[in-house]
This record gives sequence, C-alpha cells and structure tokens, in this order.
Amino acid sequence: MSTNSIQQAIVMGNVASISADVKRLLDAGINSQQILDEQLLPGMAIVGERFKQNEMFLPQVLMSAQAMQTAIDILKPYLAENSEARKRKTVIIGTVKGDMHDIGKNLVRIMLIGAGFEVIDLGVNVPAQRFLEASSQHQATVVCLSALLSSTMNNMKEVVEAFRNHPELKGTKILIGGAPVSREFSKSIGADGYAPTAPAAVERVQQFCGQ
Amino acid sequence: MNGRERVLSALRRIETSRVPLGEIGGGYTDTIIQAVLGDKYDLGSDGYFLNHQRIRELLGADIVGARVVGPAVEIVGTHEDWGTETYKDYWGATHTQPPDATVQLVDPIAHSPEELASWQPPNVSHFDSTQVARWKDSSAFFVLATMNAGFDLGYELLGFERFMMWTLQARETMKQYYEKLIETNLSMALMSAEAGADGILIADDLAFNTGTFVDPEYLRTDYFPILKNMISEIKKTGLPVFFHSDGDLRNIIPDLIDCGIDVLQSCDPNANMDIPTLKGEYGQDLAFMGNIDVDLLANGTVQQVENTTRTLIQDARSGGGFILGTSNVVASYCQPENLKAMYAMAHKELK
Repeated sequence: MSTNSIQQAIVMGNVASISADVKRLLDAGINSQQILDEQLLPGMAIVGERFKQNEMFLPQVLMSAQAMQTAIDILKPYLAENSEARKRKTVIIGTVKGDMHDIGKNLVRIMLIGAGFEVIDLGVNVPAQRFLEASSQHQATVVCLSALLSSTMNNMKEVVEAFRNHPELKGTKILIGGAPVSREFSKSIGADGYAPTAPAAVERVQQFCGQ
Repeated sequence: MNGRERVLSALRRIETSRVPLGEIGGGYTDTIIQAVLGDKYDLGSDGYFLNHQRIRELLGADIVGARVVGPAVEIVGTHEDWGTETYKDYWGATHTQPPDATVQLVDPIAHSPEELASWQPPNVSHFDSTQVARWKDSSAFFVLATMNAGFDLGYELLGFERFMMWTLQARETMKQYYEKLIETNLSMALMSAEAGADGILIADDLAFNTGTFVDPEYLRTDYFPILKNMISEIKKTGLPVFFHSDGDLRNIIPDLIDCGIDVLQSCDPNANMDIPTLKGEYGQDLAFMGNIDVDLLANGTVQQVENTTRTLIQDARSGGGFILGTSNVVASYCQPENLKAMYAMAHKELK
C-alpha cells in the first residue's frame, strides 16, 4: 500500500477502498497526523483546485468529501490519542434566519471538512442566538453565514451585531457568502470577509485560522 | 398588436415597435401583486385569475404562465421543528412550507437507488388543463404553459446531494428516472398544447452562477438525449419550446440548441449570461428572455432600473429574438416602484 494511493482515493472519491487503505497505514505504524497532513488534506486540495477550474463537478466533489469523512472518522480516535496531533479548528456554518436555501452552504461545508476543519452545520433558517450558542459551545474560530435572498441577507447584519456585542465572542471571525452578497455588503455590516465561491470560502477560512 | 402576436413576432426574428415583455411561471408573487394593484386587488374566489390578469394589464405585460394541475396534496403530519403541515405531493415526496420561506423536502421519493428503480410516476390522465384553456380563451396574452423535465424536478424529489451522488453511483437507474419524469412532463406538455397553450416552458435548473452542477459530458451522454426526445415530441404540436435554467450555461448552449429549444430564459447577469453577447453568438438559432437582475429590482433605485432596462433594450432588440423580463420571477422582496419602472421603460423605449 503506497501512501499516494490514499491521496488518489480521495481525489477519485473512492469511498469503498479508503477505510481499508487508512487502516493498513495505521497498522504499518504511520502517524495519524501524518496521514491527515500528507495524504488526505493534499488530496482534498487537489479536489478543490480542480473544482475551481471546472475540471471536477459537484458529484465528484461530494464523493471525495464522503471519502474524506470516512477517513477522518477512522483517524479521529488515533488523533485524539496522538500527543503530536494538532487540534482541528472549528467552523460554524448556517443559512441565516428566514432563508431555507442550502446548496451553496452545503458545498462550503463539504469543502471545509475536506480542508480538515471541524464543521458544525446549523442548517437553514438559523437565528442569531443559535450562532452565538454554537460558537460558544464549540469554541469556534470562524462563523460562516449564507443567504440566497436579497430579503434575508440583511439578517446577516443581525448576526454580526450579536457577535460584536457579545463580550467573549466579539472577536470571532465572520465570513459571509451567497448570491446577493458582495464585498461591499460585507464591509457595510462589519463582517470580516466575503467569499464569492466555495473554494474562495475555504481560502478565507484558512487565512482566518493562520494557515 | 396583442401580447401573443408580439411574442410570436420576436420568435420569428421580427423586430416589433416595442420589445415583448413578461415573466415565466406565476411571474409575480402575491405580495407584489397586492402592492401594485392596491385597491384593485380582488379578494373574491376568482381572485387569483383576476389579479394576475390585472397586474399584467397594468404593467403592459405580454405573457401569462399557466400549468396543468395535478391532484391536491395529502396532509400527512406536522413538521417537528417548524410546526407546519407536512404534505405528500402526487410524485410521492413529502414537503413542508415553513413560515416566510420556500417549500422544503421532508421525505424523498426514494432512499436508495434500488427504491428509485421501482418508483413509478403518477398517472396524469386525471390532471386538469382548464387553467391553460381559460387564459387562452379569455385573454390576448401569450400563454406559456410551465412544466419540468428530469433534472431539476429529479433533485427536488430526491434531495440535492443524494441526487448528485447517484449520478455517479447509479447511472442506469438515474437514466431510467429521467425517462420516467420526462414521460410524465411530456404528457403534461401535450395536454397543455391541446388546451391551447401558445408555448411550452421547461423549467430545469442545471447550473450555478459559476457553471453546470455536473460535468457537461455527463449531461451529453446521460441526460440531453432524453430531453431531446421530449422536446422533439412537443415540437410536433407546432409550439415553441422555452427553457429556463438559472446559472452560467455558456458551456452547454450548443447542446441545448441541439436539443431543439427555441428560447433560453433567465440569462442572469450575475452568471455572465449577457443577452446582447449571447445573441451575437447564438441569435440565429436561439431567442433569449430575461436578463434583468431580480436583486436590482430589490435593491436598486428607480433610476438604476430605468438605465439598465433602457440599455438592455437598445443592445438586444435588433432583429427580434429578445423578450424582456427578470432573470427569475418578481420576488416578494422586489420594490414595486422598480418593477413598474422596468416595465414602463419597455413601453417608452420604442423603435
């Protein structure tokens, strides 16, 4: 079993083979953090880049993300025991109150998981208070807000204000995205950033996390 | 010249004194209709028909959307989170309508490819096409009957992510699924034609603003041949076929032309779908409809709407093949004054 074949399994979305491949590497004594850093994350980086270039499409990205999730689920207990393992940064994501659209939000979630983040997905129609509670509970580094409608993007402002007025959470980085929002809108409501596409969202979250 | 004649002229590449204009589907949400009609909004039992007629007359629109109507939904429970009724539609999927939000899928028609393989679509023999006939008999609007095909409806009934994964994991089952959905929608199209529709609109979202959801090659091998058969059968009735999809379709426009569509609707500027540019490239084979950003109607000023509309008309009208409208439908969050300004500009900006 070459380690490259794990990276390949991620790129190809080979859910069926990846469990056995990861277990084999662990049995061979390869460090769990090394498997994550040198195989899984580079594999998903290739997927993200190919998606950005329209060389891979949504179904393939979903398959790769499922393979990634399968591999991470196997690695999780080993990473927890591994004193050299880094703690994964947590990202909270959700579609703001009044908006039920989730395709874009789900795509960002999938690509964030692929990039190695711990992602808490609050779903759709999420009120500001729920974002605060989840951020506090999970000690999130970044909160991602999605909206598809002009009428609901203004609810992003309410979420940003709730964070900025919260004594412990006011420094949380907030990233916004969705069809009607823009960099200017992001600035006007005091968010920390705007991402026009899912790969751009991953890049911005990585920047926020100092990666 | 009435609305029907104006739209047909555009499709024949005849430039009329003013451009045809209108929306697909219901066109205008009830909130917008109330805001525009004010005291003229009818609360009676025939209000739907009267209000949709009045707003089109007031705005000077040329098109009305109509549908073949299936059996009423069956209420099956209450949604745990939202407390709203859950209901099963005639396809077999369960949905709910949360407050102030769009309809949400609660339970799909199938949870595995095996279940999907044995799924059967509804029998349309008792579906009702009187709405189409009524618009045709009592108005001079171009009656555009709306239905779906296999892709957009396909993921609405299965859930988006499940559908996308199965395009890779269960290709043959998915092809059979498209065939079943298209067979049913084709029956609805033929019923609409018989009831007097002037055109058939296939609503089938295939793309994001950055490109198609799936590899265009997949569409070419697994989906477009089935869609092409549907369109070919519709065109035997002599009716033009409109096709609606959001998103950036530039990679597949030649494929859609090959499938036989006559008009491409939406043409969202946010997805780089600029009608004057597209007309320059494909205007011989395809007419275009839409191009006014719904968000401009929501957030822009009257002046901005007027300027954008005027420029679009001036750049796109030459030689016909262009119908002015929004790139989706006029949502409830649009400003009524902006809507009126957009339509008024079409009436001012004459050849």
